Amino acid sequence: MKELLRLWSLFRPYRGWMIAGTLIALLTLIANVALMALAGWFITAMAVAGVAGVAINYFAPAALIRLSAVVRTAGRYTERLVNHEATFRLIAELRVWFYRHLEPLAPARLQQYHSGDLLSRIRADIDALDNLYVRVLVPVAVAAISAVLFFVFLLLHDPLLALSGLAFLLIAGVALPVWSQGRGQAPGRRLAEDEAELRAAVIDGVQGMAELTIYGANERQAQRVEALGRRLIADQARLSSDHGVTQAAVGLSASLSLWVLLWLGIPMVHDGTLMPPQLAMLALFTLASFEAVAPLPQAFQLLGRTLAAARRIFAIVDTDPPVVEPTAPSPRPERFDIRFRGVGFSYPGASTPAVADIDLDVPQGTRAAVVGATGSGKSTLFNLLLRFWEPDAGDISIGGHSITAFRGDDLRSHIAVVSQQTYLFDTTIRENLQIAAPEATQEAIEAACRVAQIHDFISELPDGYGTWVGETGVRLSGGQARRIAVARALLKDAPILLLDEPTEGLDAETERSLMQALDRLMVGRTVLLITHRPAGLDWVDGVLVLDNGREVARGDSKVIPEATQGALLRDVAGATA
Amino acid sequence: MSVNAWLKSHRPLAGAALKRTIGLGVGQGLLAIAQAWLLALILNAVIFEGAGLTEIGHLMAVLLVLFLVRGFTVWLGERSAFQAAALVRSGLRDQVFRHLQRLGPRYLANERSGALVEMLTKGIDDLEGYYARFLPAMTLTMILPVVILVVVFPADWVAGAVMLVTAPLIPLFMILIGSSAQSKNQRQWKELARMSSHFLDVIQGLTTLKLFGASRREADEVARISNAYRSSTMQVLRVAFLSSAVLEFFAAIGIAIIAVFVGFRLYGLVMPMPDWLMALPEITYLQGLFILMLAPEFYAPLRNMGIQYHARMAAAAAAEQMIRVLDAEPEARSAPDANPPDRAASGHASLQAPRPFGLRFQDVHFSYEAGRDALCGMDFEVPAGARVALVGTSGAGKTTVINLLLGFLSPTSGRILIGDQALADLDLEEWRSHLAWVPQQPRLFQGTIGDNIRLGRPDADIESVRAAARRARAADFIEALPAGYDNLVGERGAGLSGGQIQRIALARAFLRDAPLVILDEATANLDPESERLVQEGIEELAKGRTLLVVAHRLATVRRADRILVLASGRVAESGTHEMLSASNGIYARMIAAYGQTAPGQADVWNPERENDR
Repeated sequence: MKELLRLWSLFRPYRGWMIAGTLIALLTLIANVALMALAGWFITAMAVAGVAGVAINYFAPAALIRLSAVVRTAGRYTERLVNHEATFRLIAELRVWFYRHLEPLAPARLQQYHSGDLLSRIRADIDALDNLYVRVLVPVAVAAISAVLFFVFLLLHDPLLALSGLAFLLIAGVALPVWSQGRGQAPGRRLAEDEAELRAAVIDGVQGMAELTIYGANERQAQRVEALGRRLIADQARLSSDHGVTQAAVGLSASLSLWVLLWLGIPMVHDGTLMPPQLAMLALFTLASFEAVAPLPQAFQLLGRTLAAARRIFAIVDTDPPVVEPTAPSPRPERFDIRFRGVGFSYPGASTPAVADIDLDVPQGTRAAVVGATGSGKSTLFNLLLRFWEPDAGDISIGGHSITAFRGDDLRSHIAVVSQQTYLFDTTIRENLQIAAPEATQEAIEAACRVAQIHDFISELPDGYGTWVGETGVRLSGGQARRIAVARALLKDAPILLLDEPTEGLDAETERSLMQALDRLMVGRTVLLITHRPAGLDWVDGVLVLDNGREVARGDSKVIPEATQGALLRDVAGATA
Repeated sequence: MSVNAWLKSHRPLAGAALKRTIGLGVGQGLLAIAQAWLLALILNAVIFEGAGLTEIGHLMAVLLVLFLVRGFTVWLGERSAFQAAALVRSGLRDQVFRHLQRLGPRYLANERSGALVEMLTKGIDDLEGYYARFLPAMTLTMILPVVILVVVFPADWVAGAVMLVTAPLIPLFMILIGSSAQSKNQRQWKELARMSSHFLDVIQGLTTLKLFGASRREADEVARISNAYRSSTMQVLRVAFLSSAVLEFFAAIGIAIIAVFVGFRLYGLVMPMPDWLMALPEITYLQGLFILMLAPEFYAPLRNMGIQYHARMAAAAAAEQMIRVLDAEPEARSAPDANPPDRAASGHASLQAPRPFGLRFQDVHFSYEAGRDALCGMDFEVPAGARVALVGTSGAGKTTVINLLLGFLSPTSGRILIGDQALADLDLEEWRSHLAWVPQQPRLFQGTIGDNIRLGRPDADIESVRAAARRARAADFIEALPAGYDNLVGERGAGLSGGQIQRIALARAFLRDAPLVILDEATANLDPESERLVQEGIEELAKGRTLLVVAHRLATVRRADRILVLASGRVAESGTHEMLSASNGIYARMIAAYGQTAPGQADVWNPERENDR
């Protein structure tokens, strides 16, 4: 119910459209009912008049029939157009709205979600909301208003007929939807979840196919996809069978309503309280009136899926971002010294802190390294400095301004990152570079790529900078991707440079040329490097050695061997114990 | 095969359910005729024969039974229609996914996962409309109107003639509209695929977007793509709405003409008819009412087919994508000029060589695109049980060699021998069961850490999993996690560092217990101490196995039995570390390069020397 109200409030900007859609739909429905009722009355009246030999004005009803036919056809077309247009506009907006809420959560709050699951939310779950707007809101309004009108119309003829007609309309329009809504809830929820799981399984199966193939796990993945598909279909089958029941039940309600009408009406014709043409008219009117309620059971059945989708969407939208953005404008630092003071942080659910009591100073234009074994907390420092997470204790500042005073995007605009894993987007090399600087000219791009030692490679490709890199850069090697990352950092031209194992996994020659590139990139910038390779750090001005999230040594690069020796030996003892 | 033929060819999958659906549809039509007749009888009796409830009570009773039977057939019809489509959908999803697996990673490099995901979810669902709605509707169109005509003609040939003349207008009009709808449906499908691929890409790269401050800009792109999808959807719907409006209009016209012909004759009006036409026959109220009530039933199947034509279009657009995938041939079997004599009998032999086996590349050529050879005459041998390292700059062909061995690529010419057998002759699945492989960027799959280690041996007990994890130096951090081996991990290892993911992948390879182990930069992302420990684990693993290692850090290859230095797609040098470093070749220069790397992180951290301290 809560979800329904929230969904309704999202629809608010389109209320005007909806009211218009409802009125047109109502008109369409009335035209249709009038057409049927008039036709029944008309031919009966003509026949009666023919037998009795009395004159009859057949022009007016014939014209009304024609008018109803035209209004019905045009009305249905317009009504569908209006309602769908409004709904799809809303849905397109909801996708953006969802994205705007999703974006601040990355990466901290999204770790637990599979990309397939998030894709399912922004694609299928948002789409599933159309059911509420197209099939529930407008039809319910139309059905409610028309049921009253029908009742009044029948009341003009006979109260008993009116009560019976209303009773059957209520069965089809209220009891059946309530029943099918209850039945649809569990399958609807499962459908939303299974669809997301199926998407995740397909993405795993496609993007991880090389490993699955070699490890003989393809068959299992195929079975998983098949099983999920079967589960989906089983729930859809349940819904479809229920839909069949309600469809049959609506038809039966209409038929029974007609039957009762005849049962009550025939004696009235017999004793003259009802004219024969009126009986024919009421018979066809009764059948036609059920068009008002016929779509409701299915709409309410699908409400289970819609509400499950809404819950999945709101779950993301309601997640608090890991960092609170300040409302005041961000400071504009003059200098770019980095300073950590007593910084401590634990990941949610972790038993030990990732980092504790970290003090670190990187004066403007100098280079510092944080050294430590895998898992010692180095990456956490980057995540905190980039404001992907908020420290539990202490403060980080840039140029004397606490980073909590910066809006995330403003803060990151001062920082360029070259990390060991470069994400390349499924687009051209040029566009991948332009992420760093959308306005960059071809000359600027090429200059950056020359420095990053990747220009020659790119220009030898048949499509040059227009080469499609493929999903997650599958068509480039790790070294090439890394150099593109360096070129991106160059294009970004930020005063602070964060390096995360920038040469990991590169061969010696590539590494050397990359280091030359980095050397030029580092000029005049404040550089913070994190590495687990303590060797060859004589080019940095300061070093902080971390172990299990705590400082074990600091100073220049000479402190490293001893410090790491102690820390790592303990690791060895632990590993071999 | 045309889309239409393809859709039809999968009809047998729907089996008896489809026939049952059609049968039930015919049954419903017949019941409608009976119902119309009964109603006409009742109203006629009441209005013109002064009958009361007592006279028509039996008719009312029959009518009640008809209603119930009709309701029951509606329910059964809905169920079997769903079932017919469900059988096709389930079968096709499986078929397409398995075909993607046969096509392998090489094919997928040019595909967008987001689009494939849509094809296997919404695309499959879209087929429902074709098998559950359109096919039955099409068949019923050929049956029910004919049946009604047979009933109507004897009662009143005038009404029958009106029906006969107006009916063909409906399918005719459908064909006219259909021609433009097809391309609109295809466009809608393309927009959907684009939207999904784009969203998946954005979701997977969201952190990178944020680093560049591009994630807010991206909102505009999300809006643009969503709106493109919306407008393509509305274009499709506009055609669908218009066509159903036109159909409804034709049906209404047909009914109205019949009503006029019936009504005027009942009233006894002289129809304005040309003299040459024969006089219209007289008609009774019973006949007239019966025909008037049948008229909607006559047009209903035609209208329905028109409406379901839209479902057919949606199914066709989805099917087109599936056909494209299903028509693609697995690359390993279709390399045009690959040794035809070998090929002829390829792919079914099982490996004969005893473990550990050796392998040999004989003058292997390979190119990803014509004119650019990635390998040109690769020639080397890996003796059984040896530890061989591949080194060389990016682009030297290391990864291509690995992919050839893994069976993801096949040579354009030359042979790869495993023992005495050509790799091309081996059954690929069987061959791969002898391999363990750790790629450069290993992927974790949805499930627990234990499941991920068990990837190649799902039935391994927890003790073996622990042992493999210990060897890969992964046991400590795994056991420190709240749920240990039962800890759930996401696709990117949610919360695990690169080095930890690497070690889980190594544990996976250790548990696999395969005679040929291929490691592609398996110890990257590890700090030197962990690397040394993992290296020890690998040394243990190498006993009694053949080990092929791709390495960039030369320290890790020193102890290899043989080092192959690749350059420009062939083996430039080979030998032991001592031999190669003594000679004045590429390897020696690479060693020297490390010494010069400045201000880099040259690998002077020699674990052995470190231990001496």
